[in-house]
Amino acid sequence: MPDRSTQTPHCMDIVYRGKMLPFFRLMLVNVALTVVTLGVYRFWAKTRMRRYLWSAIAPGYDPLEYTGNGVEKLLGFLIAVAFLAVYLGLFQLFLGFLGLSLFNASDDPAAKVFHLVLAQASLIAVVPFLFYAQYRARRYILSRTRWRGIRFGVDPDAWGYVWRALAHWLLTILSLGLLLPRQTFWLEKYKIDRTWYGNAQFVQGGSWPMLYRGMKHLIIAIGIMIIGGILIPFGTTLLGIPLIVLGVIWFIYGYFHYRVTCFKLLAAHKKLDNTVGFIANARTDKVFWKTVFGIFFAGLSTVIALMVLGLIAITLGFDNFDLDANVTGAMATLDPFQIAYAIFSYLVIMGLGSVFYSIFVSQPVLAHYVTTTMIENPAALMDIQQRSRDEMVEAEGFADALDVGAAI
Amino acid sequence: MFDQGVSAKFFDGQSARSHSVLVRVVDHENGSALLIEQDGQEPRHWPTPHLRELRHQARDEGIVLRLDGSDPARLIIPHGPAEDIIRKISPNLHQRHVPKSMQRKLLFWAGGAIASVVLILLVILPALSGQLAKMVPLSREIAMGRTAVEQIDKYLGKSKTSLVCHNEAGDLAVAKMITRLTSRANLPYQLNVRVFNYDLENAFAVPGGYIVLFSGLIKAADTPEEVAGVLAHEIGHVVHRDSTRRTLRTAGSAGIIGMVFGDFAGGFAALAVTKQLINAQYSQGAESSADDFAHELLARAELPSAPMGVFFDKLKKKYGGKTGLMSHLASHPELGKRADKARAASTVSLDSFRPILSAAEWSDLRKICK
Repeated sequence: MPDRSTQTPHCMDIVYRGKMLPFFRLMLVNVALTVVTLGVYRFWAKTRMRRYLWSAIAPGYDPLEYTGNGVEKLLGFLIAVAFLAVYLGLFQLFLGFLGLSLFNASDDPAAKVFHLVLAQASLIAVVPFLFYAQYRARRYILSRTRWRGIRFGVDPDAWGYVWRALAHWLLTILSLGLLLPRQTFWLEKYKIDRTWYGNAQFVQGGSWPMLYRGMKHLIIAIGIMIIGGILIPFGTTLLGIPLIVLGVIWFIYGYFHYRVTCFKLLAAHKKLDNTVGFIANARTDKVFWKTVFGIFFAGLSTVIALMVLGLIAITLGFDNFDLDANVTGAMATLDPFQIAYAIFSYLVIMGLGSVFYSIFVSQPVLAHYVTTTMIENPAALMDIQQRSRDEMVEAEGFADALDVGAAI
Repeated sequence: MFDQGVSAKFFDGQSARSHSVLVRVVDHENGSALLIEQDGQEPRHWPTPHLRELRHQARDEGIVLRLDGSDPARLIIPHGPAEDIIRKISPNLHQRHVPKSMQRKLLFWAGGAIASVVLILLVILPALSGQLAKMVPLSREIAMGRTAVEQIDKYLGKSKTSLVCHNEAGDLAVAKMITRLTSRANLPYQLNVRVFNYDLENAFAVPGGYIVLFSGLIKAADTPEEVAGVLAHEIGHVVHRDSTRRTLRTAGSAGIIGMVFGDFAGGFAALAVTKQLINAQYSQGAESSADDFAHELLARAELPSAPMGVFFDKLKKKYGGKTGLMSHLASHPELGKRADKARAASTVSLDSFRPILSAAEWSDLRKICK
């Protein structure tokens, strides 16, 4: 990509101002409260996290603002549960009945495939809603995002997204992944063309074949794996196995490369109000290594925490678990205090693991994407006017209930 | 009170333009307010009780103020003495307010969500799966039952050899018991009873009329009538199509409770307990009605149900009964109660009934796995 210069005065830099320690404190409080409230606090926890992260992203030194609140998220979740519980129950029961009525114990492949499909009944019931939920979650999040006091917004066309997403996924799977760029591009375009900043509309330009550039490393990785696979039957296992391992690692890198490249190319072809453009200079190697080292440090920190909890257990004399006893017998001999401590430790570890991941992986990667992106012709932003508020009573309830959507 | 005014940044919420403004504290309607002056614009008054501060911010250029309610305007005052004064004179900077209408909506939908989950899990799914179970074709149920028995056989026997016990005399004894129990009951199923060589005092029924007795159960029984009691109980499960019903109900309820608690650590524990509680309530109901069915079946076959009670007492003595809180989580009702009910239901005298098996046949049955 031509470097259309970092130096031109017509570009606005985006600053990232989040720091590790304050973010760690915030996430720690979030996890503690979520555990104590048996999960109810999760809606407020996510809101607090977003307020922090949004305010850390500052295009032209003016930070974004997240205006969502926990109460509306809880309300949206309750609405989604009221609807989904009945829908899921009935749909899954119907599929279960179908499975039993057409049960066929024979070994022919058609029967096996049929049962495999029915075994995923809840998945089949849920998939269309996953896309629906994702689109709605994006709409909710952007409607609660402001910059310089002006709201973002998304048009409410979730069902159009659902059938397109289903069709594109099907095509991608049938083409063994070769049409992935087509899916990535058109779904992005569908979303971007319905996105607004104030009264200005975003447009996604470009074309889908341009994203094939991002597939480079994925294709190399598959090539390596194929060569490795061919070598093994010829008695060269010693060379074949390492090649396959190399191919797998390369594939993971290729996945990162695809995501970063798509982000850059799609950003470069986005326009706001036909005048404002974007330049993204994110780098695959940076994102990859930040993730790898981040996971390493998050894992290390979690292991240290686990060791501390284990040491406490030993000091308290909890090291005499009788694992040979059968389940009922073992339960009878365990001190309830020990059981409570075990559950407590489990919760602490799970919680700390996610906190460490946020501070060692999520935030550094986000910071890299943010700080390597620039806005072209920012002067045109001045004239953008406010848009009206998107009420959205259901908030992102479907995404919360189905547990999909952004990690952020 | 920064009489000279402090310069600040202001976003009016109308356009994306950043404005430089001068801010002062003035008296306003029996209180104080911030006076925001901007070139060429009407000055604005922000009364101090209405000021709110944006919280959980990573930015550090000063205090960010807004008005309560939905006004999108933002005022950013740099750190310094002015900020300290504003903090001192603004009583409600961190107040959060949930409007009455929102509270009503929350209550309404919380009720709706709870009603919906309770209704589907405890009313609709059990009722519908009961109805649908009757509509599953018998041939399918039998095919499924056969597969299930084969799989359990492989699983328990660790795939080595089949656990099914067979010998002519033993099979005859089993057949005789079934005939005695079912000849006067009009069963929709052809029963298929097997004995597994497995050292556990238990028995189970799967769809399609398949019943499996473990050899451990026969060993633990002192009379053939004790075994007959358990067999009658399993026949109850067969007639009620309990395992088909359970399969359907489980398919329908998949993921619903998980949805409520969400994907987080604490939800894991809450989820497991809630699931077990709901399953136990159903399964205890199914067990009780299988017991009732067994009492009736035994009475029709002119057999006492008291030996069934004797057998339950033995199990209770060996494993101990669950009482109190834990009993609500168990899959079966409390053994003592089941024993008492079996004894109370007995209509046939223990002294004058015709035994289900002769002494020789009983000995054959006990040797079926040898």
